[in-house]
Amino acid sequence: MDNTVFTLLPLMILVGFSLLVLVADMMLAREQRPALGIVALIGVIVSLISCSWLWNAPQTAWSDMIVSDHFALFSYIIFLVSTGLTLLLSMRYLSEEDIQFGEYYALLLLAATGAMLMASGLDLMTIFIGLEILSISVYILAGFARRNERSLESALKYFLLGAFATGFFLYGIAMVYGATGTTNIKVISQVVSEGTIRSQSFLWIGIALLVAGFGFKVALFPFHVWTPDVYEGAPTSVTAFMSTAVKAAGFAAFGRVFLSALQPMHADWTGILWILAVFTMFFGNITAIAQRSVKRMLAYSSIAHAGYMLIAIIAGDANLSSGSLLFYLLGYAFTNVAAFGIVIYLSRKGETEFDGKDYAGLAIRHPWLAFVMAVCMVSLAGIPPTAGFMGKFYIFSAAIKAKFYWLAVLGVINSVISVYYYLRVIFVMYFEKPAADYVHGTLSLGMKIVLILSVIGIFQLGTVPGSVMALLQNSMMVFQ
Amino acid sequence: MPVDLLLIGVKAAIFLGIWLTLVPAMVLVERRLSAFMQDRLGPNRVGPFGIVQPIADALKFFFKEDVIPHHVDKALYLLAPAAILIPSLVTFSVIPLTEPFGFSLFGQDIHFKFQIADVSIGILFVFAVASLGVYGIVLGGWASNNKYSLLGGLRSSAQMISYEIAMGLAALSVLMMAGSLSIFDIIQMQIFNGETGKLFGVLPVSGWLIFHQPLAALIFIIAVFAETNRLPFDLPEAEQELVGGYHTEYGSMKFAAFFMAEYCNMVTGSALIIALFLGGWSTLFFDPWVAGLPVFFKIFVQFSVFMTKLIVVLFFFVVVRWTLPRFRYDQLMNLGWKVFFELALLNVVITAVVIGFMSVS
Amino acid sequence: MVEYLPILVMFAIAIAMAVVILVLTHLLGPRQDDPVKLSMYESGVNPAQDSKVRFSVKFYLVAILFVLFDIEVVFLYPWAVTYKTLLSSLGWLMFWQMFIFVAVLLVGFGYVWKKGGLQWD
Repeated sequence: MDNTVFTLLPLMILVGFSLLVLVADMMLAREQRPALGIVALIGVIVSLISCSWLWNAPQTAWSDMIVSDHFALFSYIIFLVSTGLTLLLSMRYLSEEDIQFGEYYALLLLAATGAMLMASGLDLMTIFIGLEILSISVYILAGFARRNERSLESALKYFLLGAFATGFFLYGIAMVYGATGTTNIKVISQVVSEGTIRSQSFLWIGIALLVAGFGFKVALFPFHVWTPDVYEGAPTSVTAFMSTAVKAAGFAAFGRVFLSALQPMHADWTGILWILAVFTMFFGNITAIAQRSVKRMLAYSSIAHAGYMLIAIIAGDANLSSGSLLFYLLGYAFTNVAAFGIVIYLSRKGETEFDGKDYAGLAIRHPWLAFVMAVCMVSLAGIPPTAGFMGKFYIFSAAIKAKFYWLAVLGVINSVISVYYYLRVIFVMYFEKPAADYVHGTLSLGMKIVLILSVIGIFQLGTVPGSVMALLQNSMMVFQ
Repeated sequence: MPVDLLLIGVKAAIFLGIWLTLVPAMVLVERRLSAFMQDRLGPNRVGPFGIVQPIADALKFFFKEDVIPHHVDKALYLLAPAAILIPSLVTFSVIPLTEPFGFSLFGQDIHFKFQIADVSIGILFVFAVASLGVYGIVLGGWASNNKYSLLGGLRSSAQMISYEIAMGLAALSVLMMAGSLSIFDIIQMQIFNGETGKLFGVLPVSGWLIFHQPLAALIFIIAVFAETNRLPFDLPEAEQELVGGYHTEYGSMKFAAFFMAEYCNMVTGSALIIALFLGGWSTLFFDPWVAGLPVFFKIFVQFSVFMTKLIVVLFFFVVVRWTLPRFRYDQLMNLGWKVFFELALLNVVITAVVIGFMSVS
Repeated sequence: MVEYLPILVMFAIAIAMAVVILVLTHLLGPRQDDPVKLSMYESGVNPAQDSKVRFSVKFYLVAILFVLFDIEVVFLYPWAVTYKTLLSSLGWLMFWQMFIFVAVLLVGFGYVWKKGGLQWD
């Protein structure tokens, strides 16, 4: 055996650490459980290091089932960053919510593993297995606060709809297999470009079903209905993970399938995705305006962001699209985890109201916290000099380069709409009087690290994006 | 082709004959022996020593009223006895009773394998089909719409699936040694030829796998007891608590079908124990001598040896039933999951290590 | 596939036997229905309620665990059959592959045990 076994090294490390967490959980006393979060964090860091070790030698392994090109490895980094930040957020939060169980950390690591498998799958079946590992872990995580009805409701909704979506996805694979005679992405792309498809209609049905499956995972317009409820009901740290890592995993696989397997049919599927993207953006942004709860507003905003990311895929050029998509996802991961971190900090068990006393006058009580939240909001709205701006810039310029002018224009219009509700949070924080009787706890060390790292990340990506974009050049070069 | 079909028919007839003779014989032996052990007489009126008793029983079952209670789910209720009987009559089709041999009949050379179907997946087929029997039990328990039946059916299915894992793992270590799923290959490997019989290449014992894999053999035998719902694992029937378990609401030949299936499975299980661990038709150190006999004598000896072993193992089943008390349900499940599963897995790993050292070194 | 033909024949014979037994016993026996005879058996007393009662969730748990671990065993079968032959070409990798697979599942098993998933009382 050659060293292709280690193509999956980052995943193996994560699985190993998640097992370690499970075993350690059986031996530790209840009070010691937050230490498991540290163990998991070490796993994430080791896995990150192993990614850099793989960076210089992209290769395929296991009969072309797995690929470790820059697209996959950079996706790994996105997942690991958001997993790591989520872990840091969770340790204190779980104790406060009284759901401090070792399984949480193990499941989080397994979910990240599934996400990584989706990003590196060079075969529809591998992507499907990754999707299952990811989804099943997240179903459980969504219902992790098992004494909380809303958490259970969100888990059940997510599970039932997710099971349907998985079914659609699998059926789509079956159809694509029927049309092309293979599930391997490389070979599908070959077959499609040579035009030796056995049944065009099967391929169409397959593509439609795949879009439905992915659309569910990344919360695109007609498949988004679960998002607000699930995001709101799930423990907030899990929501942070879902809105970043799970979405990123969905888009990584989405990009892999549409930008390389179905790339030759680009002209055919852009129409359908174009409509989805526009509807998703408008729906997400307009409904987000009406939300009173920050958590719910962030849920709708994450739908809108799915729309922006879809633009990258529609642009359709493998390198440009995947580069801008991954860049956007990384920036989004930093921003969203930090925003949810502040939601966690400010929420007392229960509702987090916009105009409630939680956010009012935050700038006076916690200037730094308000600053971080403001940075996050600015970045989500896409205002320079933040990661959100550069991400949108790359995506829209990719769309313009691919001559999707209207799409870019609609995207910009949507960004402008979104500014309204993002800035409203800033307005409440800076210009409203704080409630007198409200007492906040202290920031945990993990939370501080998350906020600092995120702000650094947001500004780094927003001011010197070139270094990261350079990494993303030819990200899918294994295919070309 | 017609000759092939004829052969299949002949073999099916022979095997069904053997199995359907052993089943009533077992019932009779069971009753006589239990009577003996409990200082009673047992059935001794019908024929000499009560030999015709099982036939009389069967006839009686046929002429009993076929009660189908009101409250049952009729279709499933009728399906259950069939669902349990059918797999039990098919599982033994892959068990060979002797080596294959050739003879000529009406001028045609016939290669006769004493085995209904020589499929390469042998033992996997037995497990696959045997586990279908659990459907019959669950269906019977559910369709009867009776609390005793439901509990019996549930208990039984949980028990059967629990021990199936240990059974599969025990068989796994045999497969590793044989490197084949075919039962014929497994038996052939155990035939003593002066060399293969050495344990770890050193100790001069027979090739019977029970000497090489005592732990696997023990687990397998116990699992067979559990799979066939025999005492000490007959909790599904546990007449003191559950009346009759899943067949409480059954009468006439439908009731007998459950027992036929159980006894059939027992015979098949014994044959499997013999094939996997007791060398099949192997006769320990006499194997080279048997191999030198003229073909028909050889086949005759092999067949008799297999049958003798079968009868001895079945006798063992009966003795165990009337010797040991019944387990409690939690003990049973604990034993299956917490003891046998680990032991069997450990055994697999040890086997893998030993084989590894022997062949890599 | 021709070697599976006898098995098909055996299935046909077995089905035929089962049907014959069920039909014969239905035809041969007398019929004397009466409501008490056809009622549910509950040790002589009148049945208390419908028997499709709720039963212990443990049974579901055992079923799920069975699916998990029996699939594990089934995965090991091809490995076991080829173990000896592939040892010579793959060496100890052949062993470690299985060992890791089993170890991962054993951690899960230990977890189930610790959580009381195997507790019957």
